[in-house]
Amino acid sequence: MLFIHEFHKVVGKRAAAFEASYRERWMPVLAEGTEARLAWYFDLAHGSGLAYRVVTVTAVQDGAAYARLAERVARGDLRSWARDLDGLRHETTARVLVPLPWSPDFPDLADIPTGGVSREPTLYMEDTMWPFPGRLRRYVEAAGAVYRPSLQGEDARMHMHVALGLETLPGAGRSPEVTLLQRLSSLPRLITLLTQDIPPEVTGPGSWMHEALELRDRWRSRLLRTAAWSPLP
Amino acid sequence: MHETHRVIGRYAPEFEALVRDEWMVALARGGDARLLWYLNHAMGSGPAYEVVTITAVTDGAAWEALGRRMVDGDLALLATRLDSCRHEVEGKLLLPVYWSALQEVDLAAVPADARTHDLSVYMQDTGWPDAPLDEYIELWDHDYWQIMRQTPPEKKLLDIQACFQVAHGSGIRPEAILMQKVMSFDTLGRLLTTAEEHDPTTWPGTYMAKGLEVRDQWESKLLRTSAWSPLW
Repeated sequence: MLFIHEFHKVVGKRAAAFEASYRERWMPVLAEGTEARLAWYFDLAHGSGLAYRVVTVTAVQDGAAYARLAERVARGDLRSWARDLDGLRHETTARVLVPLPWSPDFPDLADIPTGGVSREPTLYMEDTMWPFPGRLRRYVEAAGAVYRPSLQGEDARMHMHVALGLETLPGAGRSPEVTLLQRLSSLPRLITLLTQDIPPEVTGPGSWMHEALELRDRWRSRLLRTAAWSPLP
Repeated sequence: MHETHRVIGRYAPEFEALVRDEWMVALARGGDARLLWYLNHAMGSGPAYEVVTITAVTDGAAWEALGRRMVDGDLALLATRLDSCRHEVEGKLLLPVYWSALQEVDLAAVPADARTHDLSVYMQDTGWPDAPLDEYIELWDHDYWQIMRQTPPEKKLLDIQACFQVAHGSGIRPEAILMQKVMSFDTLGRLLTTAEEHDPTTWPGTYMAKGLEVRDQWESKLLRTSAWSPLW
């Protein structure tokens, strides 16, 4: 499975039309076939970063299916959709990602809803890391062996789990780069993280925070909120 | 597959050798991918130690197969060694626009033996329109490409060898790219040193004026091929 991750700078006045374009055109058009599905539609949570930013994640079966989709957008039946979308956004930055070896299983494309969904928003923390030169593989292994299990402990500082762990497929984005889509299950824990200093035992020698500094020291967290109609919660 | 490599300066020779002696050779063992261009951003015209490579792949399945070989297959070690020589790499997948002279590449005819030749310089223009991307590509066709191709060879500054748009999902939209070989360094010199003076009687009809209706943001990079770059 491949994942098209898009970060959209939406024209504020056209935000509703932009969302409708994904809900009423992109999602149903993909649902007519079997090899691609819109998986998530997220708004960057207001108050946590830039305004009118949207993240979409589209799952495609494989590279051949991806190329067919790209051809349809460039000069096929989806060209007019893309042209209309150009008027609703300033810019989109996209990349094609593959799951990390330890990433949780992703649903079959046929099982992803393609409409009729309405539910309470879910909050995700999307972390993107840039390992030091030559340390990508070691970072991926360590994140799977140490970081991911640490989220599952009773004493975990954050109550969230990794829904998808991803890295760039060479040639379609920035590398080295790793993105973790993490679903939050406790808002109070997030508020604690935002409002209190991190205690020394979490950052001291032997901790993930400390030891992982050998592999990377730059990352970015985004708080993303699913739309009520987002196919996956 | 267009990649911009921000190389670690002290490892620049090692990076180039890895691409020349191992990456290009590994691709040449198969039939569905070839390194086309290895280009150094010309020093004095932009960032230092920045390299652009363009690799042709036959289709989406071939690209995925190549990418997975680099992630956890037989090319993973080479990918790690390349990673160790650079700060980062930014890749995007490009499709030729409908009017591009370059549409298909005969991969079997692309040399992969590091044969050397003269150096050449390309002006790579990347534009970001504020109009729909299609309108920008059409403007380039009607008001730039059609005019440039009629220019006599002795008067040409640039030869437009390819024009691309970014494949959906693999980079920035709206964005389009011109690969233009510099044909006259005298003319390039005049372009760099002469202030633009717009004749108000002709300016409204020029490409530069019409271009402003669809974009005012673009970037030109002067890229010099290495002596062994397969295409030059």
